[in-house]
Amino acid sequence: MAHLPRRTHSILLILSFQICFSTIFAVFGSVFFQEEFSEELLLKPLPDRKVLAHFHFETTAPPLSTSHGRHHHLFPKAIAQLVQKFHVKEMELSFTQGRWNYDRWGGFDPISSSNAKPPGVELWAVFDVPKDQVDASWKNLTHTLSGLFCASINFLESSTTYSAHEWGFHPSSGGLRYGTLPREAVCTENLTPWLKLLPCRDKAGLSALLDRPSIYRGFYHSQRLHLTSSESHSSGVESGIVLEQALTVVLQPNSHKTSKTFLSETKLQPSWSLSSIFGRKVTGRCVLAKSSNVYLQLERGLVTELENLQKDNAITGPDHIGSGGLKDNPGFELSVRPDKEFKEANILHRKSSSVLYEYSIERYSAFEPFDLGLTWKFPVVWLCPRAPLHSSRFLMGSGNQRGTIAISFISTDLEEGFLGANIGEDSCKLQANIFQVVPWYIKVYYHTLRVFVDGKPQAIANVVEKMHVSPSEDKVSPGVMELVLKFPCAVKSAALTLEFDKGFLHIDEYPPDANQGFDIPSAVIIFPNFQTSMQYLEDNSSNKSPMLLKFQEKSPVLSYTEILLVPLTTPDFSMPYNVITITCTVFALYFGSLLNVLRRRVGEEERILKNRASKKAGRLPQLLSRLSAKLKGKEWEPPKSPSTSSSFISSKLILKVLIVAGVAVFWQYYSE
Amino acid sequence: MHTNNWAVLVCTSRFWFNYRHMANTLSLYRTVKRLGIPDERIILMLADDMACNARNKYPAQVFNNENHKLNLYGDNVEVDYRGYEVTVENFFRVLTGRHENAVPRSKRLLSDEGSHILLYMTGHGGDEFLKFQDSEELQSHDLADAVKQMKEKRRFKELLIMVDTCQAATLFSQLQSPGALAIGSSMKGENSYSHHLDSDVGVSVVDRFTFYTLAFFERLDMYDNASLTSLFGSYNPSMLMSTAYYRTDLYQRHLEEVPVTNFFGSVMETIHTDSAYRVLSRKESGSVEIRMSTEKSDHDKERLLLNSNDLDQIGELNTQDQRGNIECIWSTFHKELQKVKDVDSFVNYGLVIMLPLLTVSMWLSW
Repeated sequence: MAHLPRRTHSILLILSFQICFSTIFAVFGSVFFQEEFSEELLLKPLPDRKVLAHFHFETTAPPLSTSHGRHHHLFPKAIAQLVQKFHVKEMELSFTQGRWNYDRWGGFDPISSSNAKPPGVELWAVFDVPKDQVDASWKNLTHTLSGLFCASINFLESSTTYSAHEWGFHPSSGGLRYGTLPREAVCTENLTPWLKLLPCRDKAGLSALLDRPSIYRGFYHSQRLHLTSSESHSSGVESGIVLEQALTVVLQPNSHKTSKTFLSETKLQPSWSLSSIFGRKVTGRCVLAKSSNVYLQLERGLVTELENLQKDNAITGPDHIGSGGLKDNPGFELSVRPDKEFKEANILHRKSSSVLYEYSIERYSAFEPFDLGLTWKFPVVWLCPRAPLHSSRFLMGSGNQRGTIAISFISTDLEEGFLGANIGEDSCKLQANIFQVVPWYIKVYYHTLRVFVDGKPQAIANVVEKMHVSPSEDKVSPGVMELVLKFPCAVKSAALTLEFDKGFLHIDEYPPDANQGFDIPSAVIIFPNFQTSMQYLEDNSSNKSPMLLKFQEKSPVLSYTEILLVPLTTPDFSMPYNVITITCTVFALYFGSLLNVLRRRVGEEERILKNRASKKAGRLPQLLSRLSAKLKGKEWEPPKSPSTSSSFISSKLILKVLIVAGVAVFWQYYSE
Repeated sequence: MHTNNWAVLVCTSRFWFNYRHMANTLSLYRTVKRLGIPDERIILMLADDMACNARNKYPAQVFNNENHKLNLYGDNVEVDYRGYEVTVENFFRVLTGRHENAVPRSKRLLSDEGSHILLYMTGHGGDEFLKFQDSEELQSHDLADAVKQMKEKRRFKELLIMVDTCQAATLFSQLQSPGALAIGSSMKGENSYSHHLDSDVGVSVVDRFTFYTLAFFERLDMYDNASLTSLFGSYNPSMLMSTAYYRTDLYQRHLEEVPVTNFFGSVMETIHTDSAYRVLSRKESGSVEIRMSTEKSDHDKERLLLNSNDLDQIGELNTQDQRGNIECIWSTFHKELQKVKDVDSFVNYGLVIMLPLLTVSMWLSW
């Protein structure tokens, strides 16, 4: 009995501790350990009269140890299960249609280097499992994703389609697998499950803008799912799972409305609004979101042009002197006044910095929908920032036997001059990494690698700094090439060529539309010395939006080359049928005539014929036969006895058989 | 109450000009979904991407009528197998349930011995075969074997196979598993035609058989009790430009008593409880059900009497015709066979004699 008070005491102590802890957790949990969701949309006018819309949704889940077991409030359960089951450390899956135009839509900004993806499906994943289990995890992951996103991602399970590379694409420690399906169709059925991962689906908030026909009418759309998890990390810092979903669309606004003045119409950018490009308006935020903002970004080039325009106006009209910022600039007009305006923190670029307008859509509702519109008043022409080298890849050679893959780089003449300062010194080098996966039926001869700089052939050792090649193995693994190139900074153009032989597939391995050709996945070109990072000067740095934080991250400039379409020798499936038909015909004739010869009872027939002849009394043949009989000196007898005819038949038969055999022999010779 | 209904909908044709086959399949997908079969119980196989095809003037939209009133490719289409995945092998894997371990549940047909399965296929076919993507063939024997295996594995109780292709009737000739019911769009030697061309889309958008099937289903809702006889009777050979064929000899129940929702719809059993989380005894709910079903069945019979009288006659006529046709074909076949017996010895002799000749000719040619 004496123990009882002590036990109760200890229980009380534990309880009080628990209460204490739970309150502490509640306080801190609300800050750190809670699932959060944010939705953002970035709009950006592009130089070629198009509009870029970039949706960015981010959901975070705390690590399992601090969350309530396996229950989630906002985080999609399907993804959480996937992370737990396959021990995914990091994963990125993208569905893309259309090709990102690096020249006109930008090649040196965070959006292009992390959201411009190769056509079709691209999947890479880092697993936190022992090395021998990585392939099994990858296989299961592809199947799960194919079920989740209604796509044939499961084709990536076969070892001929994915690669385990060393350092070319993404730094990793062995657990990384990379695979692409260049010809995968992307449509509504892929977007819908992607949207179902959002807490508000496509029913409320910014995702309600996503009207399928207007998205798929665009020039480019890429839906991306990026996942980082530190669930199974042994290190102390755990951030849980961060699910980042981004949809990048390039749309063409209808320019019919702005045909007021036909003189300037040719140059004037088309005006647009959310309702004109998506057919819908934002009718309020997703109430589960921590922040829901719309941004309008003006590029550096555009800002410079607008400032010039403003100066001109200031000279002509003195009223405008003293106007602050670009808010009341002469170039365009916004239908909604922005809540905030940020300028890019500019370190490298001296001229001007890009501008970002922020709209918080929290105060809008179904009665007062948010419909941002941009009306251009003056024609503006500007250029977007481009990667240091414009890269493209193409095929050379003709015929069905061999060919050459060429990757060419052309300097984009960066006038900003991050290179210019160093030109003239030999030590200045421009580094470019190439990562290329080639399917096994394109047998690349890596020893034929040749490098040309400014049109002149170069020794490989001068340019190629580091190289890792794993040649393809027939029906087992694709060929992977990882290169580090160092060009002199003053390079105008450079090219790489690799020769290859086209292999043969087994007849079962041809796809139904083999005549269309086979796709070689995009090569990845990375410029590791050039970092894209956009830092915006903000007043309250504590409450930054995830998208802007993402833009701030330093990531190397990255671009994907074109997909190559290689026509392979396809079996002509109609030819076997032709051969079979003609052989059967010949055989039918052969056997038919033979049967005729063998089975026809000639004597019988002749007797019948003669009987008939004698009955019908055809004069002329009778006379003729009599004549012949007389000439032969034999006595003519109308009915022939079977005994005499047998020898006659046999000789005739042998003759005919010989003739047929002769025909056969002739045919044999002829066909050879 | 049909709570255990499944549907396997297959479009086997690739390439843009076969738009109508995808529209057929999607129309049926929409119909069965409207009639209550949930997405996880529908296996949809589409051999090509028409909705986001570069040739499609209406991106992310598929129409089965030139009035463009109904977008079949709405926001919530769940395609389970698509593109190169639509192969005869995968089709049989779905039917027989023999998958790799990694294959997700959404790609499996998880039916059991009480399930009613609708199997709809459309594409290009011929005498006893159906083409898959212009490179493979599904033969009637294979189909019969798969169905037999499904029966052995107790994967279905009743199975309705509906095929819209040329000479569809020939695809069912080898079926022998009880519980299987088959509808084909055309008899042997007949073609199945498309219904109309949409000049905006540029291709034909729907096939006749499917068009009239949909016309029948558009009038129905989940709780309707139209019988299979009335569905079969709704096919008018002059409108179809082919004779619809029904194979009913393996099916035990009377078609007049079987509502179409037996296969094309699903009504989820919902038990109304006054308060949440109270365990309701099973007996009570059972009695409720029975009462409901008796009420409904009375209602059924009235409806049937009303609308099936005239239709039945047509149906009977059709079946008689079919039997006549079949008998005719059989007798001619028998005659042919008898003739062939004589010919056999002919050919045998010829072959035996040809052998030395061939050797001689070969020897000569060397």
